Amino acid sequence: MKIKDIALDGVVRQNPVFRLVLGTCPTLAVTATALGGFSMGIAVTFVLVCSNVIISLLRNVIPDRVRIPAFIVIIATFVTIVKMFLECYIPSIAQLLGAFLSLIVVNCIVLGRAESFASHNPVGYSALDGLFMGLGVTGALTFMGIVREILGNGSLFGAQLWSFKITFFTTVGGSFISYGLFIALFNFLYNVIDRKMRHVHANKALSKEVQA
Amino acid sequence: MAKFVYSSSPHVKTPLTTRRIMIEVAIALLPACIVGIVYFGLVALLTLAIATLAAVLSEVVYRLCQKVPFKTILKEFDFTSVVTGLLVGMNMPANIAWYVPLLASIFAIVIVKMVFGGTGRNIVNPAIAGRVFAIISFAGLMTTYPSANVGSLSGGFISSGATPLGALYNPDLTNTLTNLDLFLGVGVPGVIGETCKAALLLGGIYLCARGIINFRWPIVYIAVTGLFTVALNGFDFNYFLPSILSGGLFLGAIFMATDYVTSPTTKLGNYIYFVLLGLLTAGMRQIKGTEMVSYCILFMNLFVPLIDKYIVKRPFGYQKPVKVKEDK
Repeated sequence: MKIKDIALDGVVRQNPVFRLVLGTCPTLAVTATALGGFSMGIAVTFVLVCSNVIISLLRNVIPDRVRIPAFIVIIATFVTIVKMFLECYIPSIAQLLGAFLSLIVVNCIVLGRAESFASHNPVGYSALDGLFMGLGVTGALTFMGIVREILGNGSLFGAQLWSFKITFFTTVGGSFISYGLFIALFNFLYNVIDRKMRHVHANKALSKEVQA
Repeated sequence: MAKFVYSSSPHVKTPLTTRRIMIEVAIALLPACIVGIVYFGLVALLTLAIATLAAVLSEVVYRLCQKVPFKTILKEFDFTSVVTGLLVGMNMPANIAWYVPLLASIFAIVIVKMVFGGTGRNIVNPAIAGRVFAIISFAGLMTTYPSANVGSLSGGFISSGATPLGALYNPDLTNTLTNLDLFLGVGVPGVIGETCKAALLLGGIYLCARGIINFRWPIVYIAVTGLFTVALNGFDFNYFLPSILSGGLFLGAIFMATDYVTSPTTKLGNYIYFVLLGLLTAGMRQIKGTEMVSYCILFMNLFVPLIDKYIVKRPFGYQKPVKVKEDK
């Protein structure tokens, strides 16, 4: 049951990008293309899983007063690993993400999960939490990147679909506006589904009572 | 016993409702539209029609999505979307592809106006935002202007593309148009609504006469722009008339910068707003060598809440508390 909760929290209920509005800086900056959003999401996922595991392992060792610097050191280690890996093996993506790759260190999603989940939960759950939170981020960023790239550049993952372009969506202003619209859309759908699910649960409970 | 109606004090009803004001603005826009259609042919009418219809329809559809009954929408329809649509259309080159006015109008109404809460709650002028959206998105299409069909009075010929404003700042482009040409818009390449300054002025005078806008503000804006351009070019007064007569300055000053929603509420605030707007427009034009009126109005719109916050009207009878010096 708890795993289901963690998964639902990470991807839908507490989706870091659309529900908690955390890590907006990379969201706004790298989602001009689908590839940028996707690779950013994967990088964040990797850092989240690794840092959650290590922080969860060390949660009884780290003194409470200096926990934030300790978390940052752990997170920075993994960000450096990701950065070096990308620069060595996939330099095109390292170039695409640019400074925002290093800025994962100060990404609120990673530190937020370390603080609110990994620092007082066992290792297995922390790893799962990192994975699902990361999937939530990856899904959100990729979706935003796909829509913005199709509208703004007429292409998808670099493959040109048609020549009709609304350049506005690839600019920074378009980034803010489409982010706002996506948050609105996601929360609208979430509320609709949430209401329906509650109806279903209520009806189930009612029918059980009637049977009893 | 008769029922007593209790209500708070302003009991006088004014005939100036939002709908009435917007109809007046639409009437004031008509001369410029008609002249635009005469100059550029029926293509201009098509562009204007697409923009206006798109604006009105997107407002109606948005409100239907909000589950407002259709009757209420008709009853509350206040013609702001008609004015926005007309202004968006007037800000397009006549022979633009059909989807540009369509998208610009939808953007102006849905994203700039309705998402922020509808009429009166938008933070920037929807028509200006629609134009800027179109310029950013379709830069190539938006900046190739056809020349007006009616030729220049002085017999000079100007090819489509370079605007008189571009010629003003770029010595390589020769400008053969006289100030009178610019004023009447004959032979001037540009967007539908901005070519004929005489028609815009006529609309402006109508609005002032009907008490819709204050004549002071467009004059302040235009004069400051012209004078600052003169000052930037070494006090050469030959720049004054061409700089105020070319580009979209009249259209922006009379119909867009004076929008009630996006201009300050106090007199002093308005002076600050329009003087800054004029300085900004002249300065930006000088730096970029191209038309910047729409960007400048958009930019200054964002400062209106700030101006309104710090410049507050003194309440009647209020006196500044006198500081009493303490005796030592």
